[in-house]
Order: sequence, then C-alpha cells, then structure tokens
Amino acid sequence: MENKTLDGLTEIFRKVFAEPGLVLTERMSSRDVEKWDSLAHLIMIKEVETYFHISFKIRELASIQNVGDLICVVDSKLKDQSNNH
Amino acid sequence: MGTMSFRNLIINPIVEFIESESQQHAFCIDNRFFTYKQFGEVISKIRNKIKATASGQQYIGLITNDDIETYASIFAIWMEGKAYIPLHGLQPVSRSLEIISQVNLGVVFDSAGKANFKGVSVVNTGTLENAPNNFSDLIDFSENELAYILFTSGTTGKPKGVAINRNNIASFVASFWATGIVLDEQDKCLQCFDLTFDVSVQSYLIPLLKGACVYTIPTEKIKYSYVFTLLEDHQLTFGSMAPSMLRFLKPYFDEIRVPSMKYCILTAEASPMDLIAAWHHCIPNAEVYDFYGPTEGTIYCTYYKVDFEKGIKSYNGLLSIGKPMDGFEAVIVDDHNRVLEKGQKGELCIAGKQLTPGYWKNEEKNSESFFQLNYNNIATRFYHTGDLCYIDVEGDLMYSGRIDNQAKIQGYRVELGEIEGHARSFLEGKNAIAIPFIGASGNTEIGLIIESPDMDRLTVDNYLRLKLPPYMIPTTYKFITEFPINTSGKIDRNKLKDALL
Repeated sequence: MENKTLDGLTEIFRKVFAEPGLVLTERMSSRDVEKWDSLAHLIMIKEVETYFHISFKIRELASIQNVGDLICVVDSKLKDQSNNH
Repeated sequence: MGTMSFRNLIINPIVEFIESESQQHAFCIDNRFFTYKQFGEVISKIRNKIKATASGQQYIGLITNDDIETYASIFAIWMEGKAYIPLHGLQPVSRSLEIISQVNLGVVFDSAGKANFKGVSVVNTGTLENAPNNFSDLIDFSENELAYILFTSGTTGKPKGVAINRNNIASFVASFWATGIVLDEQDKCLQCFDLTFDVSVQSYLIPLLKGACVYTIPTEKIKYSYVFTLLEDHQLTFGSMAPSMLRFLKPYFDEIRVPSMKYCILTAEASPMDLIAAWHHCIPNAEVYDFYGPTEGTIYCTYYKVDFEKGIKSYNGLLSIGKPMDGFEAVIVDDHNRVLEKGQKGELCIAGKQLTPGYWKNEEKNSESFFQLNYNNIATRFYHTGDLCYIDVEGDLMYSGRIDNQAKIQGYRVELGEIEGHARSFLEGKNAIAIPFIGASGNTEIGLIIESPDMDRLTVDNYLRLKLPPYMIPTTYKFITEFPINTSGKIDRNKLKDALL
C-alpha cells in the first residue's frame, strides 16, 4: 500500500463523510461509514479524481467494494500514468 | 372471480411458473440465482408461518431487505389474503414506529431478524424450516382487500399511508400489458427501486408474471455503479429507472453499451429530454417510455413512447407524459374543478380502477384529494394529482411541474419549471432548481440552485434576462456539486431549500 495514497484518501474521506477522526482500513466499506451512501460516494470519487489527477472508468468504479479496492485502483492508475510519462 | 381478478392476473401465472419445475431463474440477488421452484419453496415456508402464527393479522410489516425471503414474503402475504406495509431498514426508528402505530401492526417480518419494536412480534423469515411447494390450498379473497399500504411524506410532517387494494393491482397489470410491452421467459429485468416506493412493485411483479428473471441491487452496494454492472455483464433486456440515476451515470455514458435492452422506462420524476436523448446512445435497440403516476394511482397512470426519429415531444425541456393508460380518464381543471380545454394549463386530475380507495385513516386528506365530477354524464371519482399540465392538440399531456411549484412574484404567477427549463438549456443539461423564498424586503424572490461547481453567475443571469421577464429573474444563485436524492430516487427539493436559506 502506498502511504501517499492512504494519506490522500484519509484526508478526502474525513472531509466527504464528515468524520474528522476516521481511520481507514482496507476492509472498510459503505457498511462501516454512516454517511457513505450513493451520493456521498459520487462526491468522494470526484474528490479522489481531482486530488490524484486521475479519472476512473465506470468499470473500475464498479469493482470497488471497499477501501482496499479503492487503493488498488488508484495505485494502478498512478502507476500507468508514471509509465506513460 | 372474473378474468381480470388479482387471482387470475397475479397469483395464478406465478404459481404456474413455480409448478412447472423448470430451471428458469426468478431472481438474481447479489450474484446468486434462484429458480422459480426455489422461490416457491421460500413462499411456501413463509405461508406456513403465516398460517401458524399470523392468521389473525390482516396487515404485516415487512423490513425491506434485499433477499429472496423479503420478495417471497410479499407473495406469501398476498396468497394469504393480507397486505404488506414496507418498513425501510435504514429509516429512523421513529418513522417506522409512527407507521406501525398508524396501522396498528402486530407483526413484522424481517429476514435479518434484527427488527425490534416494542409490542410488535418479529418473525425472522430467514431461519424458517424448509417446506415443499404446495399451492393446492389457495383460496380467493375479495378484490377489495388491501395488497399494500405505502407511506409517503405528508405535508404535516407525519407520513400518510396510501392504501392499494387487489383490484387496483389487477387493473394496473391489465393496463400495463395494454401498452404493448411484451416480456417472456428469456427476459432479464432490472429492479433498482426501494421496496418502500411503488415503482418497485412494477419492477419485481411484471417480470415474474412472464417467467422472466428479476435482478436486484444489494442494499449496501453503490446503486449506479452496480446498475452499470448488471446492465453490461448480464445484458439486461428491460428496466425502469429514475432520471436521477441516469444523471449519476451520465459522465460515463460513452463507456456504457447495452444493445440487449429492449424496453427502458423512465419514471419517478420528470425526464429531461437531453438526458434521455444522450442515454439512448447507450441502449440503441431499446424502446424508451416515459411513465407517469402518483402512488395514489397504483404506480403508473399515463405513458409516452419516445419516437427518436419523429422527434421528442417536450415542454420546458421535460418529456411529455403522453396519454392515459387503458382504464384511466385524465382531465385538466382550474381552481374550481372546472374542466379546461386543450392547450389550457391547469391541474391534472385522474380517474379509473387503479385509484386508491383512499388514504389510510385520514378522512381530512381524503375529502381534500378526491372529488366527484360529472364526466361524460357519469358521476366519476377523480384525484387531484397536484401536477400542472396541459393537453396538446394530439391529446398528449405536457408536464409543467407541481402546482405548488408556482410562486406569486409581484402579483404574477410564476412557474418555476419555466425558469428551470431555460437554465438547464443554457447549462447544457446541468440540473437547475428554482426555489421561492422571502427576501430581505419581505417579498417573495427566486433563488436558483445549479448542480455544478462554482461558476460565473453573470453568464447564467444574462442568458435568463434574454428569455424571461424581469420578475422571473432569480435574485440569488447557489452552486451545489451534487443534488441530494430522497429514498424514492427523486431530487430532494426540501433539502435544497434548506441549503438556499
């Protein structure tokens, strides 16, 4: 797990889900966070895209079941980006 | 029982598919398939439980989980001549308690076994003993018995119950098939609505009547991306959706292609024309319909089949809601319930067999919402929909927002939908909601909330000034990245109003 990814996601999650003390774990999902509904999810995804300068495909979004999946997708997109440059 | 009875149109076809013992799938829930035979076995064990412990209860609360037991409970309840009252597992307990108290519920079915309401016995339908299929003992019930009561938000803050009887549902099924939509055992159908909202009834019931398979959305899944997975991976053929959900999917439209889709119904709220035109590229082979109906009219009352070649009929950028379904009468009336001519705008009122017998124990609301009208020389019971419409020269209904979506500004009657329509067209499909509020001067003013990150309000303002008279120009603008959605999948105007004030 890239620490930078986790740090960035923690910052975004705390802001979007309005939980300043939230500590992310790989298995954490929408079941565990009260305000994590479809709308908040969409806002969170947009924040992640802006923060990391990436853009998701909907198939990638559909594969995300928990925080661990999200980290994997973000890391793989960041890796693709650095390979392309 | 007549041929158009609940027994003939709803119960018998499903029992036939169950008893055929075919390996045809009835449900796909969280990637797990259930055959009609398996579905029947779950219905059978729940029927046994009802007979043993709930035979004296006419109304049964149902916690709306996403599993086979919850769907089977609905049919078991119907087969025993009873009605279900859906209770959302995620809604505040106080709201569930209010509903339980209004209906005086004595029993609640919960497949997760977690429900806990004081004085109410909870049946855990997830842990019942298996039972073989047995439908030889089915009996007929009066068509006037209720099938469900759905609670919608009331203006007083107290939820109000809309009671729907067996005849209402049988009439709905008959009028739905009369639209010409044809399904069979090969069809794969989307059910993406909450069971507390009545479009869910169309979404699970219509496919099961033809031996098709119903694909549901697990409660904890993110709805729009899960819907995408179902549409693409399972190549669904039929689905009803709210425009709000399509708006979530819109940034990804160029990645979505579902050539298998035969019929797509837009419903639950007004459909923006440009959104639907863009969506059509994702479902190139589908017939697209806009269905309209308040819960009081049993799911749908009117529909419009979109003809992309001939041109989409719209008003203020919103799709026409078309003509009444079979068995419905629709009139436009003025403030004194006088019927208006074609082209004149007024309140849409509807009559027909699908109309609810009334609100649950709410005489005041019943006398307010229903009225007798001499229609074609017959005294007919009509319902005030609260929707503003006119009928065009071809007899199609054009939707113009809610009656209460009007404001009096400087003495002028202003339709907020008109302001919203111009704003949307300038903003190339971005959503805009106009909200009246009392300004600093004490006069009513208009605020415009735009679903977008901050942008230059002057460009919008300048455009609106080209299109609208000065009294219709918003005095304040607000930008919100994503509009809030309520449990029925509609934009939550109340929350937006709070955000403005």
